[in-house]
Amino acid sequence: MKYISYGTSKHDLGLLKEANHDEVIFGHRDFSRFGKLDDEKLAELLQEAQKLNMRTVFEWDILMTENVFSELKEKIVPWLDQFDVLRVQDPGALEWALKNTNRPLQFIAENANRNLEALQGWCDYIGERLDRLVLSIELSKTTLEEFLSKLKVPCELLGLGRILLFYTPRNLLSALNNGDKISYNEEISALGESEESPHKGFPIVENKHGTFMFHIKEFCLLEYRDELAKMGLSHMRIDLRWEGLHYLRDLDNLKEVYPQDLMRGFFLVNKTDVLFPKLKNSRLQKREGNYLGEVIEVEKSKHLALLVKHPQGIRPGMKVKIVHPKGEEFEVTIHWLKDASLKEVDFMSQHRLALIPYVGGVWVKSHLFIQ
Amino acid sequence: MSIFMPEILSPAGSLDKLKVAVLYGANAVYVGGQKFGLRTAAENFTTDELKEGVAFAHERGAKVYVVLNSFLHDKDLVELPEFVEFLDSIKVDAVIVSDLGVIRTVRKHSSIDIHISTQASTLNVEAAKLWKNMGATRIVLGREVSIKEAGKIKREAGIEIEMFIHGSMCMAYSGNCVISNFTQGRDSNRGGCAHSCRFEYSLEDLDTKEKRKAYFMSSKDLEGLRVLPEFIKEEIDSLKIEGRMKSHLYAGTMSKVYSEALNYYKEHGDLLSDKLLSWEEELRKVSHRAYTEASLVTPAGKDSIFNERENNPDNQWLMVGTVVETSPESGIIIEVRNAFNQGDYLEVIPFVGEAFTLNTLEMMDLNLNPVLRTKPSTLVRLPYRENVSVHNLVRARGAK
Repeated sequence: MKYISYGTSKHDLGLLKEANHDEVIFGHRDFSRFGKLDDEKLAELLQEAQKLNMRTVFEWDILMTENVFSELKEKIVPWLDQFDVLRVQDPGALEWALKNTNRPLQFIAENANRNLEALQGWCDYIGERLDRLVLSIELSKTTLEEFLSKLKVPCELLGLGRILLFYTPRNLLSALNNGDKISYNEEISALGESEESPHKGFPIVENKHGTFMFHIKEFCLLEYRDELAKMGLSHMRIDLRWEGLHYLRDLDNLKEVYPQDLMRGFFLVNKTDVLFPKLKNSRLQKREGNYLGEVIEVEKSKHLALLVKHPQGIRPGMKVKIVHPKGEEFEVTIHWLKDASLKEVDFMSQHRLALIPYVGGVWVKSHLFIQ
Repeated sequence: MSIFMPEILSPAGSLDKLKVAVLYGANAVYVGGQKFGLRTAAENFTTDELKEGVAFAHERGAKVYVVLNSFLHDKDLVELPEFVEFLDSIKVDAVIVSDLGVIRTVRKHSSIDIHISTQASTLNVEAAKLWKNMGATRIVLGREVSIKEAGKIKREAGIEIEMFIHGSMCMAYSGNCVISNFTQGRDSNRGGCAHSCRFEYSLEDLDTKEKRKAYFMSSKDLEGLRVLPEFIKEEIDSLKIEGRMKSHLYAGTMSKVYSEALNYYKEHGDLLSDKLLSWEEELRKVSHRAYTEASLVTPAGKDSIFNERENNPDNQWLMVGTVVETSPESGIIIEVRNAFNQGDYLEVIPFVGEAFTLNTLEMMDLNLNPVLRTKPSTLVRLPYRENVSVHNLVRARGAK
């Protein structure tokens, strides 16, 4: 397994070389979410990296509306022959690169793409031009193991770095100041504390691409390096753009000296769907089968009113089960049936209002099922 | 020469809401089954209800799209083929998806049209071309795209385009927010969004060390009525109203206002009418945050940030009930959702035409006893009048 990082200066390249990295990602400020390099600086660093025999990756990971995209696809042309690999996230950038360049492509599949079928889909679509897939940090160890054993393409995972929680093109911090858009080179940083969460100190950054919020802890799988390598992970990304590449010197003991709290996210297990059943009243889920309707009025000692939902309608003599919102069940026979004008009837069709005898203990929103 | 007319696509969080949306003018509705969508807490549709909903809509010339736009994991995909085959069998008009794995599964198991969800944040011509190559027939564009850009995407990618015209908005690029995942343990892209963006944050500027509190991630609601002609000019195929979790009143009012405005434009070629003000008034009568056109014309600026706590304005109109039965023999029977008093000023919203008042001086319960004040979850009987129909919505100002 190889390590890769971002380079923002000649000094960085030296540190990367020292750490035996043979690939470097460059972030141009127009193309990369957190890129700081202008044309001149990027050209200089590309030259330097080539001298050091490093493979150079041009990161184009911003999401782009059509107007922004139109500008950037012109602007990238002079760079196309100067780097080794193009790294994209917006499907538009991918499509354009497939047709208009001959560069190998790294596709950032960190968003969506939680299933093997999707990842294989990208492999099929990009074909031989696919240099690498960048996988989501929300995949658990078990899932990663399966995916890495089945995917026939090199895969990369974040090993250390900030967890991006939120990305908008809107300028949310400057809007609170004077509302003027920030200038081309400017970046505003803040720490956020939400009233809903016990967590404090979410890093927030606004730059020309919009506003980004990160988790208070950074993501770290360094202790699982050997395990991931055995699973078949080809590249681990060490993103030290905020803390400095000097931490590369001793990854084994990084945890002891690193200034940020670290977490492994969902690596051991991803249970982010287990709470879903609790978000819903379980009563609402039981409307399949012989569902006859819902009680919409209870008049004590007089009647239950329901809207008939079953295509067969309702008749006196019918045996029904009534399920109370809290789950209690009542089995009753309908002795009489009345319409909305209180006339006794032999039948009431689907979608009509029907009155049946009162049943003690039944509430509004109880459900009726034909027995 | 006939004028291009987009469809009005309304949300339907339940079968009842589907009926309300279609009866009030929606040309299409989008719904969710019990799984695979992003509104876990919504009532959603059982398979029987989907069958009935599709039949109801098709009988009235409306289409039904089913959302499968969750970011599905492998274990979620297991049950998808069977569900997709079922949707195909009941002739659902399209499915809305955001993930390539789901697209491939749908293509393998059905011939249903595929719409790419806004969750995929498709923002440009090349991205639309890519999804078209993958088998999509329509793109629901990200809300960051302007109407002009959308027109270009349609022309150059040669694919149907759907845009949001109304409703709540994610502040983040859709599908690019995982706050709930990491702070609440609920996957926002599988239906567990905790709406963290609507809360107040204390912000400390790292340069000035100045602290302030703000709802800085909370967006105003989208409202695109006045730019309806621009959508038509750019031949945007479908205009989507957000809100499967929202009320019957919302589904009905939005469907009615936008379809009436569209029909007016079709007839007159413009929206230059006093009706525009009355339509806007109707939109304001439904619970909402402050409105913005967001990025429909120019990129959303600072005035698109809501920056307020969620509240219910005093002048809000509430749905007091729906008509469940009406005939000369029974009178008008309303299922009461919010209480009202004898003599209160109620309005019935007809499927077509202007709202009219309803006599509440003679209110009775089902057993013909006089009622002075109604209670939620009861039925009330009012005198019969001809132009009231089952499923009509009844509202009152500031009902408590």
